Amino acid sequence: MSQYASLLIALPLFSAFFIPILKRISKNAVMPFLALVTLIQTGIAAWVFSEVYSTGKPIIIMTGGFKPPVGINLYIGHFAALFVLVIAVASFLMAIFSVKSVSVEPKDKYAMLFLLLMLGATGMISTGDLFNLFVFMEITAISAYALTAYNKTGEASEAALKYIVLGGVGSSFFLVGIALIYGSLGTLNMAHIAQLANLINPIAAKVGLALLIFGLAVEAEQFPLNAWAPDAYQEAPHPVTAMFSAFVVKASLYAIGRVVYILSAAEGWSSILRLLIILGTLTVIVGEMSALRQSNVKRMFAYSSIAQVGLIAVGLALGTASGVSASVFHMFNHAIVKALMFLAVGYVAVELGGAEMDKFEGLGKRMPVTAFAITIGAISIIGIPLFNIFWSKMQLILAALNARYTWVVALILGASLVEATYYIRLIHTIWFKGEGEKVKENSVLALVMLLLVALIMLIGIYPEPFWNVMQKAGSDIFNVAQYVKNVPLMGVSP
Amino acid sequence: MKRILAIVFILIIGFWMAKALDQVPFGEDRMLVGKYYLEHVKEETGAVNAVTAVVVNYRGFDTLGEVTVLFIASTGVAALLWRKKRERTAKTEGSVVLTTGARLLLPFIMLFGAYIFIHGHLTPGGGFPGGATIATAFLFLYLAFTVYEIDHKIFEPLEGLAGVGYVTVGLIGLAIGGYFLFDWIWQTWGIGRENIGRLFSAGFIPIIYTLIGIKVGTELTGIVDNMVKEPEEGGQ
Repeated sequence: MSQYASLLIALPLFSAFFIPILKRISKNAVMPFLALVTLIQTGIAAWVFSEVYSTGKPIIIMTGGFKPPVGINLYIGHFAALFVLVIAVASFLMAIFSVKSVSVEPKDKYAMLFLLLMLGATGMISTGDLFNLFVFMEITAISAYALTAYNKTGEASEAALKYIVLGGVGSSFFLVGIALIYGSLGTLNMAHIAQLANLINPIAAKVGLALLIFGLAVEAEQFPLNAWAPDAYQEAPHPVTAMFSAFVVKASLYAIGRVVYILSAAEGWSSILRLLIILGTLTVIVGEMSALRQSNVKRMFAYSSIAQVGLIAVGLALGTASGVSASVFHMFNHAIVKALMFLAVGYVAVELGGAEMDKFEGLGKRMPVTAFAITIGAISIIGIPLFNIFWSKMQLILAALNARYTWVVALILGASLVEATYYIRLIHTIWFKGEGEKVKENSVLALVMLLLVALIMLIGIYPEPFWNVMQKAGSDIFNVAQYVKNVPLMGVSP
Repeated sequence: MKRILAIVFILIIGFWMAKALDQVPFGEDRMLVGKYYLEHVKEETGAVNAVTAVVVNYRGFDTLGEVTVLFIASTGVAALLWRKKRERTAKTEGSVVLTTGARLLLPFIMLFGAYIFIHGHLTPGGGFPGGATIATAFLFLYLAFTVYEIDHKIFEPLEGLAGVGYVTVGLIGLAIGGYFLFDWIWQTWGIGRENIGRLFSAGFIPIIYTLIGIKVGTELTGIVDNMVKEPEEGGQ
């Protein structure tokens, strides 16, 4: 029965391949079809989520019926079940938004790439095989390149070109890293690698892991390799920007966490954590400093998103269970908040023709619901109590204190201060500046935004049940011994 | 100055990687999983070509992913070069030798491409090289004739249909054998068990390779088609 969870991969693939045939039958059916498929995907993801959390056991999908490490297995544990659901819900909401906001032709190609972006992220989160991770990363990355350039303006092409060059370099690094690890251990299965990790040569492990991290850092927007991100966020179609921020980045961050922790038994492993913590810290500082001076709101949110991602990386690199859980919580919260904010900003840009700061003057009077959504999102990101991100930042601070990284506390608080500066400036512009006539807001989108706002406040007021889920998801990454035990490895040993 | 810095930087990275590569015992006996493949290929998949068995059976999920990557590439190119009216703008017709040669060679290239993907489980090659060979035949037509254009009404649905077919074969495996991409023809039905090494063997490998061949062929042709056309004067 549980093998049917492989529909999570099969359904979006089937639908994406089906769209060229559907287009011949009826061109207008493409966008509703996209919404329908993402809705079904949400249903399957919800089923998988309840299955995993009610039994407490991960779902292991063995493709082809071969046991790992001979065949490829998907590992849908607590983390994957949670984030597959997040991905599906975010995709569904953005598919609804796409109906309204994407008017550039060819829409059928857009729908295919959209579905495959969702598929790629789902696969990255659920795979249990190192090379399969690479394949899904390529699916995600290449559909992201095409979607970035989708608007066909000069700026969009430039952004996509930057992205494609950096992404290509990153993927090659990743592949070399896989070759090193395969060369020294002779297996690609993550559980098998974790089992044999104490046999690996320390230098090969260090260089291999560093290459894997550098490869994933392009997608995960870590500092020296994230130059593409602000441009791509600004120029991509609005729903796609929200998807980048809500789950494409998260999938890569999770992959970094997974590959780092499966090799935790290797010698000299702590130096890799140090590398990751340096990358994350630089990302936070550079992201926040750049966000301060932006005049385009979408670009400002992009930098803010980069900074948050840096915090998540720092949490992952603390090397403790509570640190990993805290960053999973932050991933979850940030996915909700940024999906809401990019949705709202995109909607403003569609209605008023652009996302520059002056378009936001008097927004509180012109589009009250959207303005309210942006305000709640901004307040939440700063980390004010009673909103969700307060709790995840709090947990990050506690985890840092426990791991004796006192300066990380200063980093988080400093970042929040800078965030407060530019978000309060934005809120001020929205509510206390300018005049304007009322624009009629789309009721479906308003409903979606209010739902997300309600979710943010719900987590803010009742964090306990969510925090319990996050701790389970975090231990899925951190507790490697349990991970190895869960995967039914057949007896292939040196 | 910039160049010298770059060279120094690359040398450092190269040294660092070489040091790591030095520690990896390439070429020695590290065949943990590899040995299993070599010893069990025949009875588990029926393929004589071990590479195909790994690619389609043991690690078929990766191949499905690679097919998807190619699909994204072709869709992406089509999305980015999309214009309402686009036509070929080639100016000079090829010489008679070229056009006649293209006409004569076309069936041979097609036949050979089909041969490669049909015999994937027996000889080197498979769906990807076979499909690329077929796309070469179409590239030949595009280069030799100024007006040649493929029929989009057939090509695009065919591409989608091949992909749908691959996923469907996987889903039938899920329904019959209980696993996605399960080789139901070989493991459940046992068709072709007595003639390993002949054409009708190896379970669903020939079927999948035929689908991949069609898919890759149509996709690469589609990319070529999109790239040689330009928007008409005055067209959007």
